[in-house]
Amino acid sequence: MNEFATILPVIFPIIAGAALLPVKFRNRKQREFWVLTITILNTIFALYAVYFADAGVVTIFHFSEKLSLTFHIDGLSKVFATMVSVLWVITTVYAFEYMTHEGREDQFFAFFTMTYGVVLGVAFSGNFLTMYLFYEFLTLATLPLVMHAMDNKARHAGKTYILYMMFGAALAFIGFIFIYCYGDSIEFIYGGVLIPELIKGHERTLQVVFLVAFFGFGVKAAILPFYRWLPKASVAPTPVTALLHAVAVVKAGVFAIIRLIYFSFGTEYLMGTWVQNVILIAAAITIVFGSTLALRTPHIKRRFAYSTISNLSYIIFGAALMTPAGLTAGLLHMIYHALIKITLFFTAGAILYKTHREYLYEVEGFGRLMPITFISMALTGASLAGVPPFAGFHSKWALATAAVQSSNQVAYLGIVALIISAVLTALYIFYIVVRAYFPRKREYAAGYYDHVSDPNCYMTVPLIMLTVITILIGLFPSELLVVLEKVATGIM
Amino acid sequence: MTGDSILLLPVLLPLFAGIGIWFLKEEKQRNFIVFITIAVELALIFYVSAKGGTLTVWHVTSRLSFAYHIDGIAKYFAVIIGLIWLLAAIFSMEYMKHEHKPRRFFMFYVMSLSALISLCFSANMMTMYFSYELMTLLTFPLVIHTQEPQAVRAGMKYLGYSIFGAGLGLLGFFFLNTYCVTTEFAPGGTLNMALTEGNEPLLLFVFFFMAVGFGCKAGMFPLHAWLPTAHPVAPSPASAVLSGIITKGGVICIIRVTFYLFGADFIRGSWAQTALLVLSLSTIFMGSMLAYKEKLLKKRLAYSTVSQVSYVLFGLLLLHPVGFAGALLQVAFHAAAKNILFLSAGAIIYKKGCTLVTELRGIGKEMPVVMWCFTIASLSLIGIPPAGGFVSKWVLAQGALSSQFGVLAVVGISILMLSALLTAGYLLAIVTDAFFPGNSYDYAAMEKREPNYFMTVPLTILAVAVVFFGVFPKYLGNFIDTISGVIF
Amino acid sequence: MEHINWIHNIPFFSIFLAMLGGIITALINNGKIAYKIHMAIIFLICIMSGILLVDVAAKNEIFTFMMGHFPAPWGNELRAGPLEALMAVTFSVVMLLTVGGGANFVFKDVVPEKQHLYFIMLNALFGAMLALIYTNDIFTAYVFIEINTIASCALIMAKGTPQSMVGTTHYLIISLLGSGLFLLGVSILYGITGHLLFPQMKEAIVELIKTEQYHMPLLVVTGFIFIGIAIKSALFPFHSMLPGAYGSATPTSSGILSGLVLKSYIILGIKLIYCVFSAQVMESLRITDILFAFGLSGMVMGSVYAMKERTMKRMLAYSSVAQIGYIYMGIGMGTRVGVTAACFHILAHAVTKTLLFLCCGSFVEDSGGKEKIYHMRGAALRNPLAGIGYTLGALSMIGIPLLAGFISKVYFATASVYSPGKMAAVLIVLGVSMVLNALYFLPSVIAIWTPAKEALNSPSPSVSPAFAVSVIGFIALNLILGIYYRPITHIIQISLDLLAQ
Repeated sequence: MNEFATILPVIFPIIAGAALLPVKFRNRKQREFWVLTITILNTIFALYAVYFADAGVVTIFHFSEKLSLTFHIDGLSKVFATMVSVLWVITTVYAFEYMTHEGREDQFFAFFTMTYGVVLGVAFSGNFLTMYLFYEFLTLATLPLVMHAMDNKARHAGKTYILYMMFGAALAFIGFIFIYCYGDSIEFIYGGVLIPELIKGHERTLQVVFLVAFFGFGVKAAILPFYRWLPKASVAPTPVTALLHAVAVVKAGVFAIIRLIYFSFGTEYLMGTWVQNVILIAAAITIVFGSTLALRTPHIKRRFAYSTISNLSYIIFGAALMTPAGLTAGLLHMIYHALIKITLFFTAGAILYKTHREYLYEVEGFGRLMPITFISMALTGASLAGVPPFAGFHSKWALATAAVQSSNQVAYLGIVALIISAVLTALYIFYIVVRAYFPRKREYAAGYYDHVSDPNCYMTVPLIMLTVITILIGLFPSELLVVLEKVATGIM
Repeated sequence: MTGDSILLLPVLLPLFAGIGIWFLKEEKQRNFIVFITIAVELALIFYVSAKGGTLTVWHVTSRLSFAYHIDGIAKYFAVIIGLIWLLAAIFSMEYMKHEHKPRRFFMFYVMSLSALISLCFSANMMTMYFSYELMTLLTFPLVIHTQEPQAVRAGMKYLGYSIFGAGLGLLGFFFLNTYCVTTEFAPGGTLNMALTEGNEPLLLFVFFFMAVGFGCKAGMFPLHAWLPTAHPVAPSPASAVLSGIITKGGVICIIRVTFYLFGADFIRGSWAQTALLVLSLSTIFMGSMLAYKEKLLKKRLAYSTVSQVSYVLFGLLLLHPVGFAGALLQVAFHAAAKNILFLSAGAIIYKKGCTLVTELRGIGKEMPVVMWCFTIASLSLIGIPPAGGFVSKWVLAQGALSSQFGVLAVVGISILMLSALLTAGYLLAIVTDAFFPGNSYDYAAMEKREPNYFMTVPLTILAVAVVFFGVFPKYLGNFIDTISGVIF
Repeated sequence: MEHINWIHNIPFFSIFLAMLGGIITALINNGKIAYKIHMAIIFLICIMSGILLVDVAAKNEIFTFMMGHFPAPWGNELRAGPLEALMAVTFSVVMLLTVGGGANFVFKDVVPEKQHLYFIMLNALFGAMLALIYTNDIFTAYVFIEINTIASCALIMAKGTPQSMVGTTHYLIISLLGSGLFLLGVSILYGITGHLLFPQMKEAIVELIKTEQYHMPLLVVTGFIFIGIAIKSALFPFHSMLPGAYGSATPTSSGILSGLVLKSYIILGIKLIYCVFSAQVMESLRITDILFAFGLSGMVMGSVYAMKERTMKRMLAYSSVAQIGYIYMGIGMGTRVGVTAACFHILAHAVTKTLLFLCCGSFVEDSGGKEKIYHMRGAALRNPLAGIGYTLGALSMIGIPLLAGFISKVYFATASVYSPGKMAAVLIVLGVSMVLNALYFLPSVIAIWTPAKEALNSPSPSVSPAFAVSVIGFIALNLILGIYYRPITHIIQISLDLLAQ
């Protein structure tokens, strides 16, 4: 029974979503009813599986002695799955309203639902092969979502997406092969699965392979130099960018990197090597680079996309410290950033939906007219910039103190990167808020303020909920930290 | 919450009152509430300072908490800030008649006080950092208040520099969290000597960066560039408190970091101290030099601030009781004097619309009270008795001589002298032009433009204070000695 | 009568039946009946091969069958082990499904008078392929290579369009070049060793190597033979005949040619490596390295050319070039695990590429005969089954887990770990190839599922049951290869061990 409960949240949405593909709903209400029901049901299934079904390792297929498809819900899975499940429902409600603006909702929600199952598949994966499988499926399931608009920009974005994702998968595949050959098994076990006797003499090769696999998974996590697909993908409808490219897809990339470092190769093997320094530096550079590009982009959604690139590398930096404190900090930021970024994208979406404005110089003075939108933006923006006592400060704090404690000289560079990024973040996020509340003194065309108002409750309720959750979870980080520490030390 | 909850009141009152002020549309009513709020706040400050006390508001995590504690530094700064804030508020009530959106101005003006008091009363690094950030965020709307493009640009520059400076401070905070026994402020420092063994170079770097970062708010080179841009574009009362008070926020942070976290003994004699002394001296000189050449009145005053606040930093970094005393005295006198100068400039703009120095000929005849206060403030800044500035600069010089720096002390004093000369140049020129416009002046066009007592009374009070404490400095001096007794 | 081991007769019967079918069909003028005969024969052969496979795999034996009761070294021999039986089964099943599903294409493309000829050629082709699989004699191999070539040309030509004529000519010339080289090599080898049967040749060659005689001629001979095979199996850079030929032939032909015919030559090549030359000889003569290099370049260049194509059939043809490259890469690694991977990929590609060609044919039909991918927009929406088939085939090519292509990749990659010098090259090129494959397959998949802007006045597609069965069958095969591959790779492994003895 428990095994079934573990598999259900993954399979159910995939099948339901596929079943939705040929269906043409008669009206909006009907579609919303079905999609929402499926989503909420699946969230219940997922949370049940995570918190109540104690099934251990569930084998779905056994290919050969070493190769099999398994699910195993450990602490890391729980964190990721809970985050995704809760956010999926909220986003679905938001998407109902938003997609009336885009069209072809039937197809959209079919793939959207399927993606839910696939993401949970990544979260629940018990070994490298399973994760690789769902990782590939994730690319395939999200491709139609990215290309939804089907205009030239969307198609071009889709091609870029394919190129980068497949390239990343190819690199990750190499890592998989080596774990298969040099590891005890391909299962995810805290501390790694490499067999010391087999490695002797091949250390250099394995280090290079790790780097290759790291950058392979890093493509989904938008690490330099493989970040280009993310800003391009921001042409997708906002719910897609918000959930997928701020939460599901990119966090899957980070998740995979954490699995790679802590559960496949093992920190014991990697810590202190040149490889660790390389990934620390890569993360640090991305942190600054993403923030810098964000500052230079006047397009709001793309600005947030670059911000995501930067913030993902915060998480990678934490993971790359290879200490439990570092991983805890990284996981904390993973959760915080997901909440913050999804809220920010929702605000951008609200602006787009109501006023068709996309650039920040077009939102002068909107603050008074769209209060819910911009207050959410201001509060979560402050959190992103790391203003205490909001969430973002705690994760930056955790990351930096973990870096100091690691006594790794290269890690200190990372702290500097964090600070620089914090400044840039404050600038690029507050600038939008400033424009909204302190509009420039000049003549505004008649009709400039037409339709400028908050969207209806489908979109505002999710916004408010997310803002409130972000603030609460930021004010009381202690309980969360305790849980994450357990995960990071392999207890959970 | 454990401790004296009364300490929370002076922090929260302006915050909530400020929000409430937003809703008051009627001018007289609003001005009244503003006045009452700040007056009550001042009373609370006095009360709390007399009583003393500690309060832990909230434990965020095991290492981080929000806590307040009244010690000498807290009292000293809080009182100065409270007094000047009240006087500038009265001035603003008249000034804002000519500016748009006064509600918003007063809201942020009052709320900023909350952040400043929180900063003064901070008992640990976390609270101080939080207050510092809050201060930046709440004063930012004051800078961009006019919403002119250049104001917005200046505001973003302010934001960027401030957050960068805070960031550097935060960077140090990360390290101190590991290397200090506790991040609660304690006189003499809280470094964990066992851990610092062998890591001194690292920690000195950390200290240096923290000082530079917090020095940004105080206008120290190299992070000073925001000051001359931001102060002039704000409405004059805002410029006044920005120059006179907010800069001191940075000073407080440097004091706390140097004497209450690292401890003077750790820093004394190190390259970090020397480097920072050099930076502050360069700033003193550079600020005066740039002020001398500047034609825009408010910008000239801004450069002057850059220079004058670095006097404070110089005094602090001598790490000697006498230098410390000079620094704190300079804090008080500069706060008062600079406020007078900016408020006067504000009065001039309000009444006559002049912004350039060259337009001020004969204004002494038109606004005598204002310009007399201006003169007294100028004397204080230059360092001529009986104005208070003389006392502070004299003590600073003494401190330089008594410290162990041979060459640097001499250089320091020379720069102080040079700066005094330049200051005379850029301030006295205005004064002479104002009162003795010369033959080419059109006396017929002159008219009495004295502003009303909303503006003149605060100016006069400040001017009197400058002279009074200049003549009787021992009231301040004794108090300062109680502080330096603990930290040296 | 002595106890006849029926099972041992199966190889001979299979070839004989196929040839017989060709002869019978020549007497019948009706295309539809010819088709039915053909299907029946293939079906029978399939069953027989299946029995053979089960028997030989269980007994783990490889046997030789003398034809005509003339003992070696003069008579003709057939040899069958698990690998041969597996190949025979696979070829039969693929043939069944392809011809069954593609029959409609044949009936549409080929003029009625010539239809039965088409099926004659199919029978001949099939017989020849079986012969290549089972043969133990090098001259027989040559004979059937030629029969194969002629039958292939006929199949390409069957459509009767000018392009198919051009394609056929090109194909014929290149193929004959390949056969010619092969023949030359065989002749010289016969001259050197004096034998035509594999076992004897192997002994002779081992002797020659030991005594260091004829070193240069041996090198040249090996070169001729393998280059000949390489040309015939369209290894880069000898692939030029493919796109024209496959692009212009009827989909059924293209499927069989690219899925089966090319592979039959490669299987012959593998048998030559193990039964005639032995792996060590190949290594010492550096042939494997050359094949490896060509294989790698084929993998990349095939995909590069495919990306430039706007016509789906030509794109699939170039994709075949790339996939043949994979197989040669595996062979070129020179290790048994490498060849195992190559054999598995033969199976995987056989089931996948034929599926792709069949579905492609269906799309062309649905789009009113237009062949450019652009015109196929929405084809999958009109014919969902073909759409799903094509999509799965494409995903298998890219290497998505659960499908055959992924298992191939895993085998190739793990095999490379045992060839340290070649490992980096293999892994890098596998990665590059995967990305390139995605870059041309995924857009085509997206295109067929995108609704067309204008309504096409094409005949509403009718999905014949045969087509449906065929597509579903191929999908099932692909999934089996992707999931339950263990028994199959096990058979391949024991086979190769037996062959090497």
